Parts: sequence; structure tokens; C-alpha cells
Amino acid sequence: MSILGGGIFKGMAVTLRNFVGSYFYKERLTTNDYEWRPDGALPQSIGDYPKEEGEQLSDTTTVNHYSRNFPMLLHDTGEPMDTIRCVACKICERECPPQCIYIEKSTEKIENADGKPQFYPAKFDIDVSVCMSCQICVEVCPFDAIVMNSQFELSTPDRFGGLLVRRDDLLKSNDYYHKIHPQEAATRDQKMADDKAAKEAKKKAAAEKAKAAAEAKAKAEAENESKEDAE
Amino acid sequence: MSFELIKDILIATVPLLVIFPSLFAFTTWMERKALARIQNRIGPNKTGIPCTRIGLFGLGQPAADGIKMIFKEDIVPRGADRLFHLLAPILALIPAMLILCFLPLEFPWGKFMSAPVQAFLLDSAVIFFFAISGLTTLAIFMAGWASRNKYSLLGGMRAVAQMVSYEIPLVLSAVVVVMMVGSLNAKEIADAQTGFNWFVFTPWGLAAFVIFFIAALAETNRSPFDLPEAESEIIAGYFTEYSGFKFALFFLGEYIAMFAISGLAVTLFLGAGDGPFLTSAPWLSVVWFIVKIFGLIAVMIWLRGTLPRLRVDQLMAFAWKFLLPISIFNILLAGLSHFALDARVAATSDAILYSIHAPHTHSGAVNHAPPKLVAGQKEAVMGALHYTDKNWVGAMEWFFKAALKGHVQSRSILAWWFGIWAMGLTVLYVMAKGLDNVSRSEVKPREYLYAE
Amino acid sequence: MTQEITFWVLAVIAVLGALVAVRRRNLIHGVFALMIFFAALSGLFLLLLAEFIAAVQILVYIGAVGILLLFAIMLTERVTGDDARDITSRGSFWGWAAALAVLVFLLLPAIQSADLAQTAQPHIPSVKALGHKLMEPYVVTLEVLALLLTAALIGAVAASQGGEKTKEDSDDA
Repeated sequence: MSILGGGIFKGMAVTLRNFVGSYFYKERLTTNDYEWRPDGALPQSIGDYPKEEGEQLSDTTTVNHYSRNFPMLLHDTGEPMDTIRCVACKICERECPPQCIYIEKSTEKIENADGKPQFYPAKFDIDVSVCMSCQICVEVCPFDAIVMNSQFELSTPDRFGGLLVRRDDLLKSNDYYHKIHPQEAATRDQKMADDKAAKEAKKKAAAEKAKAAAEAKAKAEAENESKEDAE
Repeated sequence: MSFELIKDILIATVPLLVIFPSLFAFTTWMERKALARIQNRIGPNKTGIPCTRIGLFGLGQPAADGIKMIFKEDIVPRGADRLFHLLAPILALIPAMLILCFLPLEFPWGKFMSAPVQAFLLDSAVIFFFAISGLTTLAIFMAGWASRNKYSLLGGMRAVAQMVSYEIPLVLSAVVVVMMVGSLNAKEIADAQTGFNWFVFTPWGLAAFVIFFIAALAETNRSPFDLPEAESEIIAGYFTEYSGFKFALFFLGEYIAMFAISGLAVTLFLGAGDGPFLTSAPWLSVVWFIVKIFGLIAVMIWLRGTLPRLRVDQLMAFAWKFLLPISIFNILLAGLSHFALDARVAATSDAILYSIHAPHTHSGAVNHAPPKLVAGQKEAVMGALHYTDKNWVGAMEWFFKAALKGHVQSRSILAWWFGIWAMGLTVLYVMAKGLDNVSRSEVKPREYLYAE
Repeated sequence: MTQEITFWVLAVIAVLGALVAVRRRNLIHGVFALMIFFAALSGLFLLLLAEFIAAVQILVYIGAVGILLLFAIMLTERVTGDDARDITSRGSFWGWAAALAVLVFLLLPAIQSADLAQTAQPHIPSVKALGHKLMEPYVVTLEVLALLLTAALIGAVAASQGGEKTKEDSDDA
């Protein structure tokens, strides 16, 4: 036998708890207050954003680790264009629902971090005014080359090209990725390492199988020859 | 038009025009911050002193909103009725500000003035309040019609239906208080509740207050009854085609109506300026009045952060099948209980008075000691006198004292009193529970053709 | 003096409102002009110190009857009167003649022969007096009105429900 209007009172108790708790327990808040940059500078365009890890206009390490805004391209440790993971396969461009990615494949290959010659994107543009942060590009990338950044201070007074982010501004290092999304980056690295190990194990197993097959074949030929010799 | 008259009019109305819009600005800030904290976020905290980085907890937000709305372009749709498009926000604001004048606010500069400072000392203030607050309905319809937009018209019609349906429980729950006081004069209702004799402390007063509050939420289109301005459904309902200053006028009108109806709820049920320390500082009554209004507004904001929106058929079913029967029943119950209690106390006090055989002054002093004065009879007589003055708290106090001294009839009066109140509460609750089961809206969700 | 000015202002507003209400092609404008007429009437009631009636006039006529008229107009066609339809009224001469006849032979003699008190009322009419009058001499009238209103309410609900037959028809179709 429930009290008439009991649900409303329970709801009001929950919201009161939220209200009071938001003052005392800061980790309840879904958004975090951020500090202004020490020198008070404001960006003029997206290219102004520094690319070194950690130096953002606003400290994106204070937002929650699952906060995500717009995509970024990953490169492994080293020079961005030498260790870029993206091979311009254009799957993300195809799958993007609002079609905000524009990729132009390069005409020659360069060596990537593993030493293998791969294509690279000559142009990789994302229009962040169109991007809806759905993460589909992240989900479909087979090379773990594109992941979500949590940088949100992207406003610019330039309304023509100001929100079109080019490839060089999109490239961020894997260490930066670890800094802003530690769990996700660790999982992704673990998966890449597992995949690599599995591939190598498979290659090794295939090599061994081939070797065993070759040995068996050689043995069979040797037996055949000895049989023929015997006859 | 004499100068005195103009001066008196200005003295009475200018404080209201100054105080309530500034309270409105404060309330918008409070609402945004409170709603944000309820939703585990911070709310505006950067708009403080302009051209600096000092964000005074976002207190500059109302000013920023006001400046933004003044500078926005005023867009009127091409086929819209220009006259009505202009008139609707004005017509929404004027009744809201007008009904503020009916509230019994005792501003302290009255002793410097020739006339009392309440703007409208009408004998039938309460009913004028309801009459003029009905004009907002008209303004909303005008807004919905004049925008030449299907969704605006739909929002406008729904708003009118909602406001007209909820006016009835609103007025009927106020009738309980009017019945108990015997006058429609707001000042008399306020005076009848001095000394913590608030009507909300009686069972039917409490029920009437709850009904009044729910109906007031619906009248001012607040959550959970904000279907007409549902931001996620019909864009903004009747507000849709309004931009800039006209929208600001609608917004202002809605909040001032909220203040005015909270003010009426405070006047009718919560004692209207009654509070501690009044005898030493009579100007505190305005402060207590505004504090109580803010208490009610805080509850309104709390409810907005808690409850989801009611669907339109649930809304109408709630008004007609639940609130209307229970408010009518409340009136019946209040009347019956009052008659029963009045009769009981009158019978007892007559018996006491006849048994003492001595004339009594109003202060209860006995002129000469009668031969047989039962213990506690003096207090019982005091209680009876307070009761006839409608000072129920005082009466209860005196009856308690008499009962503690062993007066049998006082004990029976108190037993009856509490019995009637307990019975009243139980009956109201059972009735509400029963009506709740009956008044569920029977609209089932649609069956989807391609389910699974 | 102020009373006279107020009376004339309110009377002019009332007459103008009523004229606009009957002459305007746009029905919504007409209804709102009618509501201005009601508001002016309420002001006139206030001049007669009948506060309760003034409040009830606003509450009932503007707040309820006006809204009802608006809802009814929603159901009609050609509400805004924008089309260039020409409404010729053929009997306008006889209409004017009838109106003048009513004014000259019925209203003016009645007004001039009415014996209205020129001095102030002996007491200010109050809601309490009204209530007493309703309970004591006119209680039967009150109850009959209540019955009438209840019958109208039930009739409205029954009329809006529709018959049983129509429901079955729609089920078959």
C-alpha cells in the first residue's frame, strides 16, 4: 500500500541529495570548472593550439576520462609524419554520417613505425562544425589511427575556415592520448599488442607448418626415391 | 485628479514595480543555479563583472540575458497578425503585474503617508485576483493564434485548455479559506492568521494548500505542467515565433505571475507576513512575506528539477477527475467539521457560562468569585472566547491549560477537536487514494505495426 | 468630477468595442473587441461600487465565455475574413429603421421614466449581503440555476461523447 504521492517525495529526496552533494563532493559534477590560461591569451585559429602534450588552452586532463569531443589522428612516439598510423584507407570517410571527413590519399608510400611502406593521407580534413561526435570513425578504423580528443575550446572568430581542422593539427601523439584517456588508451594498446602477438604467432605457426610440410614432402620424396631405387 | 491621489497611487505601486522585477532577476539566477546543482552540474559561473575574469557565481547572468534580449532582432512571421503579435506579450505582462497589487503587503513607510500603502484595498480582492489572472489565458491564446504557425496554435490551445481546467480547483481551494474567515478581503484573511494561526495547520487547509499549489503550478505553466512551452516537443509552443524583447516580456510575465500566485498562496494559507519578532519590529512582516514567497518558489524550482512532464491527457484527467472532486469534497468537509466543532464548543461554553453565573469581561476576569468554581473553568472560558474570535491556536492553548487542570469539558472539547481533525485527514486521504485509482488516464501507448 | 470622466471614457470604450465586434470581418478581432467591451462593462460596475459583480464579470465573461467563443471560432472556416468576398446586406434600410424604432420607442422612454436614485447608496453593497440574499429569499432560484447548469454540463459531455453506433461503425471500418 503505497503512500499517495510517495514517488514524488522520493524523487524530491533524490534531487535534494544531488543538490547538497554537488557542493561537497566535487567528483559528482559531470562538468569541471577549468582555469584560464596563465598568460590570458586567446586563440586566433585552431592552428594556434599548441601540439605539445599537455599544453592546451584549458587543462583537458581535468575533464572526465570518458569525455570526448572531436576526433584526432594518432601517431606513435617520434615525428608525427614518420610514425603516423593512418594509411588513408578512407573507411572513416565513408562511414561518417554527416560526411565531415575529407581524405586525399598520397601517391607514394612512406615507411611507418613498423618499417612497412604504407600510403599516408596527403589531406585529412575534419569540419568540426559538422562533426557530431558519434565516434563511428573510431569504431571502424582498422588501424586504431583515429580516436576522440576531449579538447573543447575550439571557438574562433573566423567563420569561413576557422572550424576546418587540417591533418597537421589533428595529429597528436599516443602519449597525449594516454594522458587524456588513460583507460581507453591502455585498452587500445593492449589490443594492438595482442593482435600483433597473435599475428606473429600465426605467422610462426604457419612458418612451422610450412617447414613441417616441406620436411614431410622432402621425406616423402626421399622415400619415393629410395623405393624407386629399391625397385 | 488631485496631487494627493497621484502621490498615493505612486507610493503604492512604485515599490511593487521596483521590488518584484528585481526579485525576478534574482529568481532567474537562482533557478539556473539550483537546477544545475540538482542535475550535478554547476550552472552559470563566469558572468560576473564585465571585462574582468571575476565571475561572481554568475550573478551577472540576468543582466546579460536582459541585454541580449534587448538587442536581438525582432522577427515577425510574414503572415502573422501584426497587431496581435505585438499585443500578446503586453497582455501577458499587465495582468501579472496588476495582481501583485492585491497582496496585503504592509510596507513600513505607511506611517509617513496619508493613505495606507496597499494598492488595492478591495473588499473582494481574492476574487479579483482570480479574475485578472484569467486574462493571461487570453494572452497565451493570442500569442498562439497570431504566430501563424501550426505548432504555436497547438501549444496555445493546449495552454488555454490547461489553464481553464486548473482554474477551478484553484478557486475552489481558496473558497475553503474564504469560508473560514468569512470575507474576501485579503487584509482580513491576513489578520485572521496572526499568532501562527495559519490555515495550513488545519487538515482541510493543508489539503487546500496542496491543491492550490498544484493548480498554481499548472496556471503558470511550470513543470510538470509545462506542456504548452515544452522545449523538447513543440519547440516552444506559443513562444516559438517570439524573439528578443517580446520573449523577454513573456518570460517576465510568467515569473511575475509565479510570484503573484505564490503571494496569494502565502496570504491564504501560510499566514501572510506572520512570523516571529513581529511585535517588536512590525516592518518585518514584509520580510516574512517575501521569505515565504521565496520558499514556495524554491519548492517550484525543486519540482521542476525532479518531475517529468505530464502528457496532455494525463494533465486533463488529473484536473477534472482528481483535483476537482477532492476540492469540492474538501469544502464540504471543512464546512461540516467547522459546524460540528462550533456547535460543540458553543454548547460547552454555554454550559460553562451558565454554570458560573457571573458576567465575564473579554479578558476573562471573573467579577466576583462564584460559590462553586471548578478547576480550569476560567481557562476554558478563555478558550471559548478565543474560539469565537477565530483564534484557534490561542483557543487550543487555553483548552489545554484547562484540560491539564482537570476540566472535564475542556478535555471532551479537545478530544472532539482532534477527533474531527484526524477523521478529516483520514477521510481526505482515503478519498484521494480512491480518486487516484479512478483518475488514471486510460490512453494506452500505441501498438507499433513493426514491433521487433 | 473624476467619476464623470471615468464614466464617459468607459462608456465610449464599451460602445466602440461593441461596434468593432459586430462590424469587423476578422472574427478573432471581433471577439477580442467584444472582450474589451466586457472589460469596460466591468469598469462601469466598479463605478457603481459593485466590486463582486465587476470581478465576476471579468472572470465569467472574459475568462470563460470569451474563451468559449474563441474555441467555437476555431471550428469555423474563413476566420480571418481575408478573402475578398463581398457581403451585401440587402435589407439594411429596414435594419436601420428597426434599430431606430427600438431606440426611440422602447429604450429612450424607459430610460427617461426610470426613477434612479440621485443620491449615494445608503450602504456599500458587499459580498456578505449578496450571500445572505442568495441564501434567504432567493435560494430556490439558486438551486434551480444549479440544476440547469448541471443539466447543461451533462448534456455537453453526452453530446461530445458521440453515440454507441458510431463507435461500432468505426470498428468495422
